[in-house]
This record gives sequence, C-alpha cells and structure tokens, in this order.
Amino acid sequence: MTQTVCEYWNCVTASAKDVFASTCGVQLEETPPEEGCENESLVLAVIALVGDVEWSLFLGLPTGTAVEVAKKFAGFDIPIDSPDMGDAIGEMSNIFGGKVKAMLDPKGVKADISLPTVMRAEGLHMMSQRQTESQKTCYSSPMGKMWIGVVSGKNAGLMA
Amino acid sequence: MEIRALVVDDSGIMRKLVMRSLLESKLAQFMFTEAKDGVEALAAFSANPINMIFVDWNMPNMNGIDFVKEVRKIEKEHVPVVMITTESTMGKIEEALDTAGIDCFIVKPFTTETLQVKLSPLFDKLSEPKKPGGFFSKLASSMT
Repeated sequence: MTQTVCEYWNCVTASAKDVFASTCGVQLEETPPEEGCENESLVLAVIALVGDVEWSLFLGLPTGTAVEVAKKFAGFDIPIDSPDMGDAIGEMSNIFGGKVKAMLDPKGVKADISLPTVMRAEGLHMMSQRQTESQKTCYSSPMGKMWIGVVSGKNAGLMA
Repeated sequence: MEIRALVVDDSGIMRKLVMRSLLESKLAQFMFTEAKDGVEALAAFSANPINMIFVDWNMPNMNGIDFVKEVRKIEKEHVPVVMITTESTMGKIEEALDTAGIDCFIVKPFTTETLQVKLSPLFDKLSEPKKPGGFFSKLASSMT
C-alpha cells in the first residue's frame, strides 16, 4: 500500500499541535511559509516511519526555540551546547513520531518508528528529490518559531 | 513501602522525568537504578535487588520488550514491569501485555497525575495481604 504525504498531512499537523500542547502547554499557530525559519541556526530532529509509509519526519527548531522547548519539556534549563539538548529534543521528536503513528493506525496505515537523530544545522533547505513527495508547515508559538516536515519515498533525503 | 526501581530509557532526560514524577507521586519510597538500554538493564537487574521496573520500548542494542522477556526467564518471582513509551497503538499494547507480561502501560508524554492514576492499582495490590510465594511477595518483603 502506498500512501501520499498529502493524504495524511492533517494527522501530522494535529500530532504536532497535540504534542506541544501536552508536553509544553503551548498552542502552535500556523504561519505562512515565507515566515519560516530555515535560514536560522537550527536544532533538527529526524525520525523515520517505515511500513505502509516511508517517511522521514522532521522537527526544526531555531536555537532560541529549542532552548525554550527543552526547558519546558525537562523542567530545567538546558544550554544549547549540552548533550542534554539533543536528548530532550530527540525525546520530543520521539513522542511526535509516536503520536503520528498512533493517528495513522486507525486509518489502516501501519508503520514502525525509528530512534530519533538530532543535529545542529545552518541554512537548511528541504529539497525534494526525484520520486519523492514532501510537506512542510511552519508555526509560531510562545516559545518561538518552528517547523515540521515530511519527506516520503525511498529517495527521501535532506540537503543543506 | 520501599521500591527498588530500575528505570530504563535511552534518554537521560526521560529517566530524570520518570524518577522525578515517581518521587512526586508519593506512591512509595523509591530507590533508583538507571540503565540506558536493555543490555545495560539486564546487567543491572542481575546485580541489584530490583523489585519494580520502568522501561521504554524503543531503545538501541536491546529494546524494552526483549529486555522484559529476558527478565521473565531469570526472575525468581514476578517483578512488576511498567512500560513507559510512545507506542500507543492497540497492536503494540497487546504485544506488550501478551508476549512480555507487562503489568502497566503508560504512554508518553505523561504527567505525575497520570502516573498516580495508572500505578495506584499496582501499588494497591502491594498493600494487600501477601500469600507466601505469591505474585508480589518479593515486593512485600521490601515493605517497610
């Protein structure tokens, strides 16, 4: 079974809003793409959903947002250069991926999630490759800007 | 009562959150041993008098389900296992309950209140009169 990202994008955006509401107590407000934050210094978390879909799920947080998210999630300050930062944002993306998986399941879409990978990035652009499909939504929040994205397909990838 | 808990998660932040929430729950007095994956947890379980386990599912080296299956092979008496995970589909929950004998399943993210509600029945059982060699006799032996 092959599913398009677009068909289930509402599950992804709803998951993001639910996860940030439940872990950080904040509401995400969708913003136009031109107000996105790809060109800033980012903490980027990537997690894969593999099964009926083959998705790379991205959570992009400018460093200022990442510091606020990590503090809300952990309950204490975490400096941007601390190993705990990757740990906290990785766990956030893990919860995000788990929520997406749970929302896809009742729609008959079965997938397993990978362990998260977290990295720092500058000037990042998601570039769809041949035979891939992608979606992206930018948000504002009391903690700062952020974005989520999915690249689908065996050739899914990320280029900075 | 005193619980010697093994907290297993590849995220150090999550281990801290689990331990902090358990302390805040005041369900018992807790002494903690930490492990970052199933392999490390199995060694910790063998080396320490653990009487309750809180474990994540998705971890490197050895995942939570495989770890619990190994525990079930070597435990002398039933050790209650609480799985705290992002896995929340019915199929996964059934797998955890059926194949590994998970005693309680908690989905991340969780609050201290969620822990209290979900774990209270488990701790209520610990407070019941114990039968020799019974389900929770190992835990009962550590009650203070």
